[in-house]
Amino acid sequence: MAATTDTEHEEQSGTDGPPEPAARRRGRAGRIVARTVSVFGELLITAGLVLGLFVVYSLWWTNVVADRAADKQADRVRDDWAQDRVGADGPGALDTKAGIGFLHVPAMGDGDILVEKGTSMKVLNDGVAGYYTDPVKSALPTSGEEGNFSLAAHRDGHGAKFHNIHKIEKGDPIVFETKDTWYVYKTYAVLPETSKYNVRVLDPIPKESGKEKAGHYITLTTCTPVYTSRYRYVVWGELVRTEKVDGERTPPKELR
Amino acid sequence: MYGWIWRHLPGNAWVKALLSLVLVVAVVYVLFQYVFPWAEPLLPFNDVTVDNQ
Repeated sequence: MAATTDTEHEEQSGTDGPPEPAARRRGRAGRIVARTVSVFGELLITAGLVLGLFVVYSLWWTNVVADRAADKQADRVRDDWAQDRVGADGPGALDTKAGIGFLHVPAMGDGDILVEKGTSMKVLNDGVAGYYTDPVKSALPTSGEEGNFSLAAHRDGHGAKFHNIHKIEKGDPIVFETKDTWYVYKTYAVLPETSKYNVRVLDPIPKESGKEKAGHYITLTTCTPVYTSRYRYVVWGELVRTEKVDGERTPPKELR
Repeated sequence: MYGWIWRHLPGNAWVKALLSLVLVVAVVYVLFQYVFPWAEPLLPFNDVTVDNQ
């Protein structure tokens, strides 16, 4: 590369001026051009490598970090439950900061997803699902009141807890586990693509899902298509029944 | 640029190679720890919530 630039340059400008000092001058000029081109090329290669590393970071490293954080927080919640430090139903005793329970969606794969308060990046980047506090405040199943339990989680990177949301079909169970109750929801509507400004999907009665009356609903939101966040993917479920958690924490039949 | 760094590293080729490796690791660490976490929210890949902004 450097050699080619050198010769070309000399060939082009080798006719005018006194031969000796000019040749030397042009040789130096050629070298400067060559060096500039080579540094520019190296910068381009570097930029390419950095972008490649960013992909590695987004799709792999953030998952490593998030899963580690999520496991730690989930362990803490389970410990708290086991040692009875958190009364899930007692007023004021619900420690929302540590996580309020676990989401199980067999259609998305095994494993439980810790649910915490808020949908800020800071919360979601720990590899958990967050319930909305803004723009539409989520209802909590533990309150027993009618409303919409609305959740968000990452589709890619940062744990990618809702990566397989497209595998949820109508009729699939979505189970929410708290310290002493299993809340069994059934998927009744899926919206594969909607605007990111469509906050009405979070309404206490999500009309877009076809519901007209108040009830106990659950809404899962994430970004779509995968690897971008151009649109939002929404899944709605309705509470079918609740089950008391027994001594062995036997999961409801949907999870077995 | 890289040639310049190579020429200015001390020692023989092996030492230079080792030092280069250390430099590469340091750069990757800084990128993963500081630069990418800073850049990520500025890029439109990972917004998962619906909002009215």
